Amino acid sequence: MAQTEAELLDNPVAGEPTLILRSPDFHSITDAVAEPVERPTPRAWWYFFLPSVAVLGLLGVSVAWLVWEGIGIWGLNVPVGWAFDITNFVFWIGIGHAGTLISAILFLFRQKWRTSINRAAEAMTIFAVMCALTFPGIHVGRIWVAYWMFPLPNQMGTWPNFRSPLLWDVFAVSVYGTVSVLFWYVGLIPDLATMRDRAKTQTRKFAYGLFALGWRGSVRQWHNYESAYLVLAALATPLVLSVHSIVSMDFAVSVLPGWHTTIFPPYFVAGAIFSGFAMVLTLMVICRTAFGLEHIVTLRHFDYMAKIMLVTGTIVGYAYTTEFFTAWYSGNPYEVYTFVNRAFGPYAWAYWIMFSCNVISPQIFWFKKARTSIPILFVVSIVINIGMWFERFTIIVTSLHRDFLPSSWDYYTPTFWDLSTLLGSFGLFFTMFCLFVRFLPMVATAEVKTVLPQADPHWHRGPERESKDHRAALRHGGTPDPVTEGAS
Amino acid sequence: MSAHRDHVELRPEQVAIPPGHSWNRFPAIGAGCAVLGVVLCAILGMGNPKQFLFSWLVSFLYFLSLALGALFFVLIQYAAQGAWGVVLRRIGETIFATLPVMAVLFLPVVFGLGVLYEWAHPGAAEHDALLRWKSPYLNVPFFLIRAALFFGLWSAIALFYYRGSRGQDATGDASVSARLRKFAGPSIIVLALTTTLASVDWIMSLTPHWYSTMFGVYFFAGSFLGFIALLSLLAVRMRAAGLLDTVISTEHLHDVGKLLFGFTAFWAYIGFSQFFLVWYANLPEETIWYKPRIEGSWLPIALLLMVGHFIAPFFYLMGRSVKRNGSTLSVGAVWLLLMHYVDLYWQVMPTLHPEGFSPSVLDLAAFLAVGGCVIAAVSWLLRRQALVPLRDPRIAESLAFENA
Amino acid sequence: MGLFTPQLPKGPYFGVLAEFATPADLYHACERVRDAGFTRWDAHTPFPVHGLEKAMGLGRSPLPWIVLGAGLTGLATGFVLQWWVHTSAYPLVISGKPLFSWPAFIPVTFELGVLFAAFGAVFGMLGLNRLPMHHHPLFRSKVFDRVTDDAFFISVESWDPKFDPSATQKLLASLGARSVELLES
Repeated sequence: MAQTEAELLDNPVAGEPTLILRSPDFHSITDAVAEPVERPTPRAWWYFFLPSVAVLGLLGVSVAWLVWEGIGIWGLNVPVGWAFDITNFVFWIGIGHAGTLISAILFLFRQKWRTSINRAAEAMTIFAVMCALTFPGIHVGRIWVAYWMFPLPNQMGTWPNFRSPLLWDVFAVSVYGTVSVLFWYVGLIPDLATMRDRAKTQTRKFAYGLFALGWRGSVRQWHNYESAYLVLAALATPLVLSVHSIVSMDFAVSVLPGWHTTIFPPYFVAGAIFSGFAMVLTLMVICRTAFGLEHIVTLRHFDYMAKIMLVTGTIVGYAYTTEFFTAWYSGNPYEVYTFVNRAFGPYAWAYWIMFSCNVISPQIFWFKKARTSIPILFVVSIVINIGMWFERFTIIVTSLHRDFLPSSWDYYTPTFWDLSTLLGSFGLFFTMFCLFVRFLPMVATAEVKTVLPQADPHWHRGPERESKDHRAALRHGGTPDPVTEGAS
Repeated sequence: MSAHRDHVELRPEQVAIPPGHSWNRFPAIGAGCAVLGVVLCAILGMGNPKQFLFSWLVSFLYFLSLALGALFFVLIQYAAQGAWGVVLRRIGETIFATLPVMAVLFLPVVFGLGVLYEWAHPGAAEHDALLRWKSPYLNVPFFLIRAALFFGLWSAIALFYYRGSRGQDATGDASVSARLRKFAGPSIIVLALTTTLASVDWIMSLTPHWYSTMFGVYFFAGSFLGFIALLSLLAVRMRAAGLLDTVISTEHLHDVGKLLFGFTAFWAYIGFSQFFLVWYANLPEETIWYKPRIEGSWLPIALLLMVGHFIAPFFYLMGRSVKRNGSTLSVGAVWLLLMHYVDLYWQVMPTLHPEGFSPSVLDLAAFLAVGGCVIAAVSWLLRRQALVPLRDPRIAESLAFENA
Repeated sequence: MGLFTPQLPKGPYFGVLAEFATPADLYHACERVRDAGFTRWDAHTPFPVHGLEKAMGLGRSPLPWIVLGAGLTGLATGFVLQWWVHTSAYPLVISGKPLFSWPAFIPVTFELGVLFAAFGAVFGMLGLNRLPMHHHPLFRSKVFDRVTDDAFFISVESWDPKFDPSATQKLLASLGARSVELLES
């Protein structure tokens, strides 16, 4: 039936597209989303959860050893004093950005298709920020003085330096984390109330009810609620731009060739959204199959996401090209050398992994066949994640390893503990994600209901006013079988 | 989108400038301005050709940037399949249809290359190692080849889209939309690369030692914002003049206003990032560009940009009612159009007057000349065509558009 | 027990609760209830129904003003904090920049502005909605459980001047309600 669904997409000049298949009613949406959370834990969940926890344990061991022994266990040294720690930090922050983009920017642009995926994407944002925050927290080894990052006068009577981009990072990332949690929670309130009202046991009723805050779907409440949601979206949009811009300033305010370049802020933002969408795609491919949500997260959603990846991947390619051109155009021998060294020096392998994964691989999404093929989407999304990790690695390590003093040039190689910390952060991410899909509705039920045709108060049931996918299915010769349609 | 406005037929007379309407006079007014401007330029420019060329360059860049902004706007609409803006698309199409005219208006720059650009001075590279390094790119023949290429590509894209959309008015053929949509993505890539290089060639290379990777994005941000301001202004004025008053609704104005608000912030973000990174690193090869521009009497202009191009319009356009009211929206639009000129002026003129802000009558003359030509061309096209793409397959959806 | 004490009508009845089948039915009923001059009433839906606040005759939410105030406070806090730290509390010249180097203060100023505004939005919304309020007479109704699933309701509270237990029930039934019940306080 995948063919039929792909065909449904294929109407370039049609009016409103069909977002949800099988013409469900409101109740069946509630059921589809709430049931996976209510039924007993399926065995398959443990297959994901236990390995994730094991890998999280590896993170615990790595961090414990780091604190015990010091950062000498990592491969860092002069001149590469920053390597995996900051690479991982930037990588994870970037992953988070797609969640905010989906929940905030697409909301402002009235992209109704976001309703099927925004909840999971926002959760992803929060978990990615958690992973990201781990790295600045541990990277000096002495985690017990991490509070020096906060604007508090410490025991020496000093204050942090507000002119340092590293402090801006502390503010940007913690504000980003906080606002993401608020946004996500506000979106959850009506759905938590749904879970409360469906709860069969007292414990569940209490737990969901506590966080649902007594929500009773009153229009007077919805009125303020929608206003708050719009405001949060309008705030999160510049916030998400600022966060990765500030992250880019960790590098760009320096005087290091390859780091100090004015295009960094928007280029980092585009890269962040790019990588984040790749991660959303990876997760949604798995989740929609695992939880049978193929009619809610449809090929149309993947089609849109693939297009956004094509756009942002191409913007990233534009930035790579501009950097190279300007490095030559500047006539500054250090700039020129750094870029030649990036592409043809000892780390050329990393540069070309980055370039082919980030710029070349998404070009396949010019083709609709690729945008609607789950296997291709899945593979390319993982390829892009690898590429975006290497982008940060390339920027950070190649600019450092051959600095202004040729006598100190060196080649950085990660140690086991570098790799285990990176791997471990994935453990943290997937553990959190497994818990999320187990206990919370992973689709914003209330919002999905608003995009059904019958949610419009001016909609009337009648032969000429049936939902569009029904008509489309008829046009394609099949009877709109409520069970099989849309299943792929 | 409610379903009860599915079948809306626009009558051609509803979306055209009727005979005898005051807007029919604009081609003549534009031509008059152009003649006056050219005469003034000729008389005053004799005595001060250098000032004339710089003034001309600013005005040329100003109207060029609006046309490029229009092209970006329409291409993005096609690529993103947005429906709400269909009724506004023809305004953009008419403005970017002037891109071939801009090629003619570029001629003074071509003839004044040696005056405008330090690297084009005869023998400039001999005493300057950096210019020697850059000479494979910054040399007169290659510069002209590039300019020809830019205008060729822009005109090709512009006419392809203009003709396609106008052709659909007659045929109502939905496959036209599909075809135009298909080429939108590649066209945006071509446009982004050429616009970047054009901004490097025509503005950045005025200070040939200076470089900034952000510059192309900065030029784009200003251009797009400038066009949105122009679009808001035209939409409001058309309604006020009784044209399209049954087509463009408050809802459309509201949405254009939101874009205006959003891109005011985007321009500030890009402009601030560029300044900030240069300021912070404080490297002499980069601060040379900003130094004359934030010193002496150029400093008030720089501050005016900060307040007038960002802070004031940002807070002004924040509220909902300002964007939904034609007259308040057009005040913001006119102001931002003025600020866009100041922005380009501040980028170009300190090369000529590093000692301080020194306005000239030639600035006005050049503006009249270039602007007159553009106004004449745009309004002449407007008279000959429907003011909206009246048989676009999504026009009904656009007409019925409502903000949530 | 909620943070806010519920503002509830005194008397034997809380009010009348009527269930409607579709958003369209609810919409038209709301218009009629509004036109009948009721003031202490509400509609309840599983999701925000577009345009229903107009059908109920609600004005615009005051929330954006709260957010604007909070945001400006945040901006001011951020800027003053940095200015004070670097010029009075701990003046130290770093990277050759003046003590009051305002461009470098913009990132943190912006972040705090956003943070305060976001708090303003969320807590402002909760305050205006008088949440959390874990107990409410409406929850006594059996059918009301489905308000978070697929049911649409109108509730008219007993302290509305036009309220009358039997007449209001009749009115709501005449507007096409699927069921009407009288709720005790």
